[in-house]
Amino acid sequence: MSLFWLRVAVLLYGIAALAVLPAALFDRRRWNLVAIPCTVAALFFHFVSLAETMNEAHHRLPVDTHETLSLLGLLLALAFLATYARYRTMSLGVFLLPIVFLLGLLPAFRPGEEIVSGNVHTGWVFLHIALLLAAYVALVVSLLASLLYLIEERRLKAKSLGAGGFRLPPLETLDKIALRSLLFGLPCMTAGLLIGSFLAQIAYGAAYFSDPKILLAFAMWLAYVAMIYIRRMNGLRGRRAVYLSSFVFLVILAVWASNQFSNVHRFTTP
Amino acid sequence: MSERQNNSTLVLLGVNHNTAPVDIRERLAIPAGRLADATRSLAHAPGIREGLILSTCNRVELITMQDSAGEAETPADLLRFLHEYFAVAPATIQPHLYEFREREAVRHLFRVASSLDSMVVGEPQILGQVKESYTVAREVGAIGGVKAGGAGYLDSLLQRAFTVAKKVRSETQIGSSSVSIASVAVDLARKIFGSLANKTVLLVGAGKMSELAVRHLVQHGAASILVANRTQARAEAIVAQLKAPGLTAEVIGFEELYEQAPRADIVITSTGAPQQLFGRSHGQHFISRRRGRPMFFIDIAVPRDVDPRLNEVDGCFVYDIDDLQQVAQANLADRSREAEQAESIITEEVARFQERLQTLDAVPAIKALQVQAEQVRQAELARAAKTLAGLTPAQREAVEGLTRALTNKLLHPQLVALRKPTDS
Repeated sequence: MSLFWLRVAVLLYGIAALAVLPAALFDRRRWNLVAIPCTVAALFFHFVSLAETMNEAHHRLPVDTHETLSLLGLLLALAFLATYARYRTMSLGVFLLPIVFLLGLLPAFRPGEEIVSGNVHTGWVFLHIALLLAAYVALVVSLLASLLYLIEERRLKAKSLGAGGFRLPPLETLDKIALRSLLFGLPCMTAGLLIGSFLAQIAYGAAYFSDPKILLAFAMWLAYVAMIYIRRMNGLRGRRAVYLSSFVFLVILAVWASNQFSNVHRFTTP
Repeated sequence: MSERQNNSTLVLLGVNHNTAPVDIRERLAIPAGRLADATRSLAHAPGIREGLILSTCNRVELITMQDSAGEAETPADLLRFLHEYFAVAPATIQPHLYEFREREAVRHLFRVASSLDSMVVGEPQILGQVKESYTVAREVGAIGGVKAGGAGYLDSLLQRAFTVAKKVRSETQIGSSSVSIASVAVDLARKIFGSLANKTVLLVGAGKMSELAVRHLVQHGAASILVANRTQARAEAIVAQLKAPGLTAEVIGFEELYEQAPRADIVITSTGAPQQLFGRSHGQHFISRRRGRPMFFIDIAVPRDVDPRLNEVDGCFVYDIDDLQQVAQANLADRSREAEQAESIITEEVARFQERLQTLDAVPAIKALQVQAEQVRQAELARAAKTLAGLTPAQREAVEGLTRALTNKLLHPQLVALRKPTDS
């Protein structure tokens, strides 16, 4: 049944991803009435599906790649709804909803067959994963907002706003979204890493901290903190903010990819 | 919806910015204080059942329901009213008049209320002006009054016009973009800052357009105004004019301009100085002092006060008078495109309104036909009463049902034909 709900959720995400285009790009507000309810309903079915999947497998945390992708999609959809509720902007949905749709497609139609190793059945690990995913989502949202800032800034400077151009939120709103999502992501990432370190210390001892994946994860945290510091201190916006966010995003991708090369941080079987 | 009076015709007669020059329009214009009196006079004119006058700076229109009997004289009657009420010779106004009847009058009114017939297509004031005229006409009994038999056709028409105008606004983007320089400036400021609440505007120099732009910004929430002028007294006069509750307005000395400028989110310049006031290096300095927060320069001066290269500085946005005009033109073109969509809404709505009226027009005939058929049925039943006397109550009820069903079936084609709208 969980797969059925996930497929329903993916279908609804797909509808929302299409409806958000006229709503965000051409300010056709009637389409909000399709995009937002569809996303809310999809989120609900997605949650039901994820809970059922994990319940059926007798574990309480996403342990394989598909479940993790699914949880990431769920958090991205939640981020879209949160920015809509706070700033009344649909623009982020143009990027986020198709990503959510694609992230849901794989688990919905090719469910994972990986098995879980025995030492991850704890609520702390779930928190570790969820917090780090939330931090990644915050960075993705911040990067998107910075990109949209750059686009709108260029359009304003080029004075090419008339004649049916796409409608984007004001620069100040985009800047707020970019910075506030980073500020939201920082405690998530810090707490996620601390919980992970604490659990690793108990399970593997100090050797865990010489693993390249773990070292990269701490480098990622430092880059994240540095980015927030630079943005806040220098009021970094536009092009430079995009460069900085993109750099940290690449670091995060590297950390994610390094999962495959780690000796200790591998909880999915190949 | 109220029932339409029989033997009456909807006639709309008027002049607007397309048909009449301003010297004609101003002679026909009715000040707000005299609108009630004029509407009352129109309603009391011979042959008029209902009437309404729409008078704005761009149009004067008489919308009337008239007795069809005097149809041939209708335009002359309204023309006579214009001649008598405004003391303008018929020969002076006749070449500029347009007249619409029935369906075309409905279409015209829908277009006017939806701002498709306005000088600036999509401007929002016209709907308020039509509503105002309607309110006045109701108050003086020119709509839905005794002469209209208490049932106002114009009432239905106007209500429908308001709904159509709302629909056009909500389903198209006709009114979403600004087309005046001052409102374009506000729009651009909002694209940068979002809300203008708590934003500071620096006005350098003085000029009608720059002051208008400042007023627009204040109306949209700007909380603080700084005024710099080479003549201190002029700056003080501007501050005095701008003063309003909740608004901080202060004069800054011209020599302090570069020191104070970073306080401002929006700078409006119109000095008439021969050399530029703000260069690229100023922009860099301001942005650094503002820790990256954007600044919007609106340069209304000719020759320009702001070096266009300042626009290249990160966080600085410079729009001169030509740029603003270009945005306004582009927005106007946008509106024209939206107007096409609005026209198809109007066409649909006119057809729907006419169809509905057709049905309402047929109501008395339908009722009469039904009454007559029922009388025939009752008479036939009475005639056969003796024959049917031996029937049980159940059998009598069956006969009753049978005759009613037969009558309804025989009437059905006529009723459908009566309800069916015709092209006329």
